[in-house]
Formats: sequence, C-alpha cells, structure tokens
Amino acid sequence: MPDTGPQRDRTAGAALREADHAGIARLAEELLPALIAKLGTTHLGELEVREGDWHVRLRRPYGTAPGEGRRASDKASRTQPGHEGHGHGRAAPEGQRTARAGGGASGITAGTGAASASTNGTGADDVPVDRSRSIATSPAVGIFKPGSRAASGTRVRAGDSLGTVDVLGVPQDVPAPVDGIVGSTLVEAGMAVEYGQDLIRIELATPAAAKS
Amino acid sequence: MFRRILIANRGEIALRILRACRTLGVEAVVTYSEADRDSLPVQLADEAICIGPADARRSYLSAPAVISAALVTGCDAVHPGYGFLSEDETFAEVVRAHELTFIGPPPEVLDRFASKEGTRRLLGAFGLPTIPGSDGMLRDDEHALAEAERIGYPVLIKPSAGGGGKGMRMVRTSRELESAIKICRSEAKSAFGDDSLYLEKWLDDNRHVEVQVAVDRYGAGVHMGERDCSVQRRHQKILEESPTPALSDAARASLAQTAVRAVVAAGYENIGTLEFLVDGEGNAFFIEINCRIQVEHPVTEMLTGIDLVALQIAIAAGEPLGLRQSDITFNGHAIEFRINAEDPAHDFRPGAGVVERYHAPGGPGVRMDSHLYPGYEVPPYYDSLLGKLIVWAPTRDAAIARGRAALEELLVDGVTTNIEIHRALLENEAFLEGRMTTNLLDRVGGAAFLAAAAAR
Repeated sequence: MPDTGPQRDRTAGAALREADHAGIARLAEELLPALIAKLGTTHLGELEVREGDWHVRLRRPYGTAPGEGRRASDKASRTQPGHEGHGHGRAAPEGQRTARAGGGASGITAGTGAASASTNGTGADDVPVDRSRSIATSPAVGIFKPGSRAASGTRVRAGDSLGTVDVLGVPQDVPAPVDGIVGSTLVEAGMAVEYGQDLIRIELATPAAAKS
Repeated sequence: MFRRILIANRGEIALRILRACRTLGVEAVVTYSEADRDSLPVQLADEAICIGPADARRSYLSAPAVISAALVTGCDAVHPGYGFLSEDETFAEVVRAHELTFIGPPPEVLDRFASKEGTRRLLGAFGLPTIPGSDGMLRDDEHALAEAERIGYPVLIKPSAGGGGKGMRMVRTSRELESAIKICRSEAKSAFGDDSLYLEKWLDDNRHVEVQVAVDRYGAGVHMGERDCSVQRRHQKILEESPTPALSDAARASLAQTAVRAVVAAGYENIGTLEFLVDGEGNAFFIEINCRIQVEHPVTEMLTGIDLVALQIAIAAGEPLGLRQSDITFNGHAIEFRINAEDPAHDFRPGAGVVERYHAPGGPGVRMDSHLYPGYEVPPYYDSLLGKLIVWAPTRDAAIARGRAALEELLVDGVTTNIEIHRALLENEAFLEGRMTTNLLDRVGGAAFLAAAAAR
C-alpha cells in the first residue's frame, strides 16, 4: 500500500489516540468520581481541574436546581410539532468539549461510565449528576396522567405512584424516585411523553438539595 | 401515500429510510433508545422520540413502545427497517390493529412465509428448485437420523425461525448429528423461542446468490436481478455484488424469472429477496425468502436506478407497481462493502468508541450509506454495521478499481473497522477471478487472510 498522507496520519493518530485513551481512562476511573462526589456536596456551579494536557470541567446545567437537567424544557419543545429539539447539547460548545472527554472515557471503561450515564439519561449533559434523585421520569412512551399524589406539596415516599403513562391503554406507574415533597409538574395531563422524560419535580428533605 | 412515517430502527438504515421519506414528501419520525440520543438520524429527522433504554428488548424490539410512539407522534405507518421487528408477523398484526400500516408484507403474507421449511415446500410447489431437505420438521432424533440418511451427508441442521446463523450446524456423520441436534434445539429455543428444526442438504463449496423481487397488492410482480453474497463470515455477509460471476447471463435471467413467477403465484406482496445456494455446476437451490428491505439493497439500486425503499413504501401504501419487467434495465456492475466495527485481525471482535475522524469517499459511481460523523460515539449495544460503501462501474474490473480507490480514501479513525479485510479481498485471487465461496473466509481465518494479502 502506498504511504499516502492519510495513511501516515492514521498511524500517528493511533499512537496519539492510545495515549489519549490511557489518560481518559485514568481520569474516568480516579478523578471524575471524586470530583462528581465533591460537586454534589456543594452549591458550586462549576469545578475545573487541570492536569498535564487535560482539563476537566464539571458544570451544573444553568438555572436549575441541583439534580435537575435541561431536559424538561428540551422535551417541551420537542413534543410540539415542528423541527425543534433534536440537537442534544448543541447549544453549549463548552459543554460539548467536556462531554466529549466523558464520552471517550465511557468507551474505555466499557460499561461503568457509559452505562450509568446512559441509564440516567445524562448522556450529553455537562454534569453527570444523578437527576433521578429529584425528578420522576417517564417509564415509557405514551400519554401522561398525573395521579392524586402528584399535587404540589404532597409528601411522598420513594416508590409511591405519582401517576401513570398510558402505553396503548395500559397504564405504567410513575414512581417517586425518592422520599420528599412533590414540587411542580413539568408536563400537562394528557400530553404525550417519551421514555425518560422529566415529569414531576420532587423536593428533597435535605437542606443541601431542597430549594423552593 | 402516507402522511407521516415512524422509522422504528437505527443507524444507517434509519437514515436511508429518512432519505426515502424526504424524496416522497412524507414526514419522518425517528425512534431512538437512550444509547442513540446523539445519532445522525435522530438529528436529521422531522421529529425524534425516545422509546426506551439502550437494551434493545426494551426499545427497538418492544412492540408496545414502537406502536405507542407512532400513535403519540401522529404517524400513519411504521417502517421497521431490517432486523429488530421487521419480520415479526405478530408485530405487523398489532400495528394494523392500531390502524397503522406496517411497511412490508401484510401480516397474513408474513405469516404464510414465516416458517422457512414451509416456505421451501410452498415455493417448491410453484416451480422453484429447492435444496433437498427433510420432509417437514424433525419430530425426534430417530426421524432426524432417517431423514439425514435419505438426503445424504453432509447436512445442515437449521431452525425454522430466526436467522443469523444461530441454532445452525453442519454435520458430516450420524454421530455428529446426534450430538449437534441437542445444541441446535437449545440455541434455537433461547434465541427465537421456537426449537423446531429441519435439515437441508449441505453443499461444501457453495455460492450464495439472491434474487430481488417486488410485487404489488394487485399481483403484478417484477424481479430486479440478483446479488452475489458469497463473501461471508460465519453465515454473515460482508461483501455483495451484482451481477454474480457464478452464473451465465442466461442462467441469471432464468433464475430471476423463475423466482418472481413462483412468489407471485404463492401470493407474496411487497419487496422481498429469495436466497439460493449455487453449487459448482451452476445449479441453484432455493433456501429461504427475506420479507424486508435488505442491507445490500443498494447494489440493486445502482444497477437499476430504482429507489427500493421508496418502492417498498409505495407498495405498502397500496399503490400499483407501475413497472413492467421490460421497464427494468440492468446497467454495469456494483459492489457493496459492509464497513463494520470489528477487528479482522482478532477474530472479528466487535468494537465501539468515538469516531474521531471520518471521511467518506466520493467521485463517480461511489456511494456511502452511513450514519457516522466525526465525534459520533459508536454504542456497544447493537450490531456492528457502521455503513456501506457501494461502488458502481460499467464492468466488474472497473468496479474493483473504483472499490480499491474508494477504500483507500475511506477514513474511520477511533474505532477499529474491517476496512482492511475489504482491501485484502480486492487483492485476493479467488475474489478477483469470481470464484469466492461462502466458506472461504472461515476456512482461512481473518488474520491469515490479511497476512496473505499483505505478502502479495
């Protein structure tokens, strides 16, 4: 095979990539979990750490309480007809770069980072915060019907049914993810919702996270 | 025509269906799992809807999730693509029960062709030469041994349901048969929930040739020639071309005509593919029919200029075919290379990761159907197909030359791919002479195949 430009680049790229991957893997395994835990216990909006060629920035989604993503508004635009709401995380270039580092890391650690990020639906988010701690999400694609315990101010226990999402007429429970007090409902009754969509905010009882 | 179609699939085929919808002026809604949130079809669709988690059983394979998504987004039809729910007649029935149209054969047609063994007998009765095989399903070991004796070893044990090589074993003796049949039963049971097996005569050095057909609701049918899919690895196709180098022009035409006549007579509807094994003397034996769009459909599109996905949608919408056999002309030679995220040097181990750089080749006669983009993260949960590179030229030699140039230009950085195996194939004597058989790659092994090409 002739030694063409792209060919050489491929080899050089492979070496670079390997070094990158090693770095990312180390960041993902050692540094990131510690940083995430740190950010979770504070009211800080942003944390940045530099090390060698790498810098990691964790940032909470702006204008939201800890543990709540931008998804509520994202989905609201998406359920309306039209061409909006497809570019996940496209709005924030800074966030994109951070997310890329996270993406590479999850590829390397094969499951640990990637699995938790995707099951919590935080894939492209700036901060891999566990939002299920304060938001009840949709268990399925269907029509949302809030129940009697979805009224704002209701004290609920984790697992209590806050309503249902009807899938082809079969109701699927929307359970409260944590003990707490029901806050605002983010989707109107009778609206179509998708899997994982934020539905009902739960205010935690702990002082650090409760914000009303 | 439909107003709005739900695309119940992912990856390159979701993108391909989206493109067909655009040319037809039909809106398209793409379903996605949480692992595909950032995929290209999701970004390009008119609307996208998350139907479940990464686990396909709870997203792309979940009939309630898919149908609910179609209803809440106001779709009037569901395109299942290939794999997942595409040949599930129960799914097609439930789709129809919700007053949606399944884009594919109607449920009763899918049902008629659901059993591979039954289809072989059905189409055999309508004049197709079929591979010798067992008389019906295997009742027990005794029946299996007697039937194998009658057919003559080697024989292939095959499950009636499913595909992809699961529950399939080739055996050469009665002792092998006795031990393999238990394994096949349990594999078929766990993969397809159905452990019925049958036997087929095994041809050692066979070639795989398939005929593309299209039949409308009113019984008008045409064939669109054949594709040669003899380059395989463990019953998985990796390169397809048309016309097949295995048959003469007269034999190709006669096979395709026999095929379309049989499926029209048997009441088939929509596009479909009839698969044949061809032996060393050029005898073709029907093995099974695929009632869906196939991965390798672009090969036929390049030769005929027909958009098969658009045609499939139109037939499902009840439109007449609008084509006679004489309207279909075959021009030149096309080759498709499946670009997979797998490592040929390490037993084709599947890979995942972030595509750091991506460059699709271009130029005359070059087509790339792929959902890749720089920065795209290939999820580890689904099949390894990253895209298909298709080249066309007036002759086979010219197509091979274009294939070499295009493969040289194709760049996928960050994920290990099988591009090298394609480059090696285009240097391989058996391939260049058009003598590829389905067992060649497996016999040689991926690593040895690459080494042989590098030594040339």
